[in-house]
Amino acid sequence: MNSLLEFHQVSRRFGRSQALKSASFRVPAGSITALLGPNGAGKSTALRIALNLLRPSSGEARVLGADSRKLGPAELARIGYVAEGMELPDWMTVDQFLAWCRPLYPKWDSDLERELRKQFALPGDRKLKHLSRGQRMKAALVSALAYRPELLVLDEPFSGLDPLVRDEFITGLLELAGGEGFSVVLSSHDIEEVDRLADHVVMLNHGEVLLNESTESLLARHRRVEVLLPENFGDLPALPPTWIAPQSSGRVLRFADTSHDAAAFGQTAAKVFPGCPPPDVRPYSLRELFVTLVRAGKADAGL
Amino acid sequence: MLPFRFHLLDGVPVSDQLVKAVQRAVLTGEMAPGEKFPSVRVLAQELKISPTTAHKAVLELRDAGFLATRPGAGMVVVKPAGSSREQLISQLAPACRDLIRQAGLLGLTAEETQKALRRALSED
Repeated sequence: MNSLLEFHQVSRRFGRSQALKSASFRVPAGSITALLGPNGAGKSTALRIALNLLRPSSGEARVLGADSRKLGPAELARIGYVAEGMELPDWMTVDQFLAWCRPLYPKWDSDLERELRKQFALPGDRKLKHLSRGQRMKAALVSALAYRPELLVLDEPFSGLDPLVRDEFITGLLELAGGEGFSVVLSSHDIEEVDRLADHVVMLNHGEVLLNESTESLLARHRRVEVLLPENFGDLPALPPTWIAPQSSGRVLRFADTSHDAAAFGQTAAKVFPGCPPPDVRPYSLRELFVTLVRAGKADAGL
Repeated sequence: MLPFRFHLLDGVPVSDQLVKAVQRAVLTGEMAPGEKFPSVRVLAQELKISPTTAHKAVLELRDAGFLATRPGAGMVVVKPAGSSREQLISQLAPACRDLIRQAGLLGLTAEETQKALRRALSED
């Protein structure tokens, strides 16, 4: 599949701290890809490298088929960017701001601009510095969507927005859905915010890519398993390598099955846990999955 | 507003849930044959999901005979061939599997499980 954004073993240092460690991932064409991870995981660094606002210390990021370090005005006119707390010309009114943006983009679509302004109910005569946080983000989104970018980059777009404004913001950005299609990459530290919106997930932790996979396959292959062991079960048996992060408490053993196959699971479970009732097998939410995988990673690293 | 009922659950792929919800709506008559089906953009906006996911569900529904392309009108609802009661019964399969699993965790026999189901049915 094509991708509009690809990272190939990209690292970035700031002094002694390593913000990205040999990170490889891609944003499939037409997808909404979420870059997830706690604060300081390297999400913003990755997005800033993608826009040539930062250079990688090593490795290569390819954006719209070009090396990110060589992005020029022609490529940047095909990319939209909105970041939490980004600098805007605060002395301008909303009308002035959009009139100022319009001539910068040959593909500016005035009908789409009108439609979005109506949806967002943006007051044209209000100065940007007097807008609420949500309205500011909406004004920035109008300026980034109206030229119909092929790639939309959103850095923590929902941070500090109330749920109603967040929903309006999402509806607005999906105005570009359909038609020729566009790709979105957005970062968030709050997985629940984006778990239904994103169809591709890149999980980052301490600058490393933990996962780079479609949401659907992630949810399909992971299961949370609970086994009730008999009173005299003795030592825990060795688990297959795809069953990770075991934790036991009393007679209950919990673990994550990372390549679940409903047909084969029962047989394997009966072999590993002879004499036990059938285990309780449940799907993970993305949030639970992330927490489990980060914990398992720490255990692997002996932390 | 979408013309069918839909409540997203955690942990199950969104496109699977969307397909199931539309199938149920067609089989129960909540959506009538010939009715216009929302576009991918409207589905994505209303459900706050990725257009790719919405597109995938629409294609699946078309392949399963629940939607058809009408030139100029986008997608319309079709009633698929075959017994709709049977298809409704098969929609209940996941809930039945869940019931059986719960019964297994409690150590109940098949007879006891059926007894619990009959009891719940008579209370309803």
